[in-house]
Amino acid sequence: MKTLLGLTVANLKGLTRDRAALFWTFFFPVMFVLLFGVLFSGSGDSKVSVGWVDQDGTQASAGVRQAFANVPLLTLQSGSLEDEKAAMQRGDVSAIVVVPKGLEAAVGQSKAGTQASVAIELYVDPAKTQTTQVVQGVVAQIANGFNLTVMGVSPILTINQLTLTSTNISTVTYLVPSILAMALMQLGIFAAVPLVQQREKGILKRMGATPLPRWKLVASNILLRLIVAALDTVLILGVGIAVFKIQIVGNLAVAAGFVFLGAGAFLSLGFMLASFLKTEEQATGVVQVVQMPLMFLSGIFFPFDFMPDFLRSVARFLPLTYLGDGLRQTMVNGTQIAPLALDAAVLAGWLVVCLAISARSFRWD
Amino acid sequence: MTQSSAPVIRVADLKKYYGDVKAVDGVSFEVARGEVFGMLGPNGAGKTSTIEVLEGLREPDSGNVEVLGLDICQHPESIKQRIGVQLQSVSLYPRLTVTELLDLFGSFFNHRVPTKQLIDALDLGERANAASMNLSGGQQQRLSIALALVNDPELIFLDEPTTGLDPQARRSLWDLVKGLQEKGKSVMLTTHYMEEAAELCDRVAIMDHGRILEMGTVPDLIGRRFKERAVFFDSNTKLPAERLGRLGGVTRATQEDGQTVLYSMDVPATIGGLLAMADELTFEPRNLGIRQATLEDVFLDLTGRALRD
Repeated sequence: MKTLLGLTVANLKGLTRDRAALFWTFFFPVMFVLLFGVLFSGSGDSKVSVGWVDQDGTQASAGVRQAFANVPLLTLQSGSLEDEKAAMQRGDVSAIVVVPKGLEAAVGQSKAGTQASVAIELYVDPAKTQTTQVVQGVVAQIANGFNLTVMGVSPILTINQLTLTSTNISTVTYLVPSILAMALMQLGIFAAVPLVQQREKGILKRMGATPLPRWKLVASNILLRLIVAALDTVLILGVGIAVFKIQIVGNLAVAAGFVFLGAGAFLSLGFMLASFLKTEEQATGVVQVVQMPLMFLSGIFFPFDFMPDFLRSVARFLPLTYLGDGLRQTMVNGTQIAPLALDAAVLAGWLVVCLAISARSFRWD
Repeated sequence: MTQSSAPVIRVADLKKYYGDVKAVDGVSFEVARGEVFGMLGPNGAGKTSTIEVLEGLREPDSGNVEVLGLDICQHPESIKQRIGVQLQSVSLYPRLTVTELLDLFGSFFNHRVPTKQLIDALDLGERANAASMNLSGGQQQRLSIALALVNDPELIFLDEPTTGLDPQARRSLWDLVKGLQEKGKSVMLTTHYMEEAAELCDRVAIMDHGRILEMGTVPDLIGRRFKERAVFFDSNTKLPAERLGRLGGVTRATQEDGQTVLYSMDVPATIGGLLAMADELTFEPRNLGIRQATLEDVFLDLTGRALRD
């Protein structure tokens, strides 16, 4: 036990003194959390800016403006039609509302019993479906209310808005377990590189000439990576909670089980890669070639339902899909892709198969 | 220590094949306690394969191998507790310091020498807290030997311990090996360097193509092969071998890399004949000289190759 710990401490020292390794194991995933967090945390409540062109310049048009300004979703920016068109083309405003000359005159005629109407002009960009719908809805509602008020009719049907919070989780909350899954995958697969390096340099052979049993050498490697996995988990969740206020709601013991099962599955994949790779350069290249498609095809960074059928069937074969799913379900109650038991079974299956292949093919020199 | 007269290594008809390559093809030898035994041979001769079987790193295909009186196949762990191993060109955990590495390796053994003592013995005091990757070639080699000594071994294996070292570092390593022998340790080493073998080894075995060609003390090997002295010279052209062989007193002639060596029982007759032949064939024997035969000559004679890396 003492030799096992000593060896693990030695490996840990080696890791912490290697700046590149430190960067990839600890800083890279945290950077990911921060980057994704900043990118997506604002997207939920962003306002729509609307260009406001008042060609009437009367009390009536000022009243309409007030009605628009009261809508919390909108921010108004007044200016001439030319200015606002230019602003819209630049992307500074998403729509333009034009109140034409003659609004107050038309109101006066209506009150006097003569029919009169004025058209509010609305400029929208058909490519921005969501914004267009929002602005159209608001304009229609306000126009309708304005008409009723002017005609002195009180509305029969009104809307009484109530609120009910849905369990729909925020993007950042969805992403943090995914980033954790990515980090665990990387720490497992990347373990192939130092192993190949130690073999190439003859360190594994030199250890073989001491009475140290081989299983202790393997065990210390596993222990080291599991310690790193635990540190990574604390770090990533810590940043998620501290900076982006994500809520960890699941069963922590089961979540921890998934962290270690996932780290184990990808570590055995790393061992398997190390069994077939001869040089450090080869290992660094192949490790990237393996982890890139895993990262993007497993759909850990976007909801499974959004993926095309083809991608979805690819993702169903990849272990990272199940690690991401397992972590999401146990940590933030995410929508499941597969039942937890299946997630665990797939990861355990990868672990056993890769480990068995490694045990048969791993070369010590 | 108990059976002080018994050999520390006993190898009988060892064979180690890699597919069709007969790396070790029927090798037998013994090493006595307290002896420094050298194995000489060109690259690919089978030295490293032999020594790695003895270290318990490779399984023999056939033959009997006993180290410290124990069968290597049955008791590899007990043997590893009692031997010291230095491998050819191994670098260690690059980011651990000298002290950390010695502590780590010491922890693998039941019996260990205090780290401080090893650092002093190998003159690594100034670099005790330096990462191994920052050591010079000579310092790394000394560290590698220090690691081989962490368990105070009875028998030490050194695989090409001075390859790549400058002459000064080589000298200091030789002194170290002599010091080990004075303490009653047994040493088995492989080397490319004849000078090293002649300086350090009580006995040497010359190996090529997986077999031991000749074995004995250095003077013994030279005397057994060469009663002659060597007449040597450089020439630009390749000379007719049968003409050289018929010169007065010549028993054998070799030509390698532009240098011709004539082994002669009668040096004046050989040189007279050589000069006459030079006149006749119009070549100039440059750097002409005479010397006693050396281990190098024995090796060249046995393998037909010069022992240079």
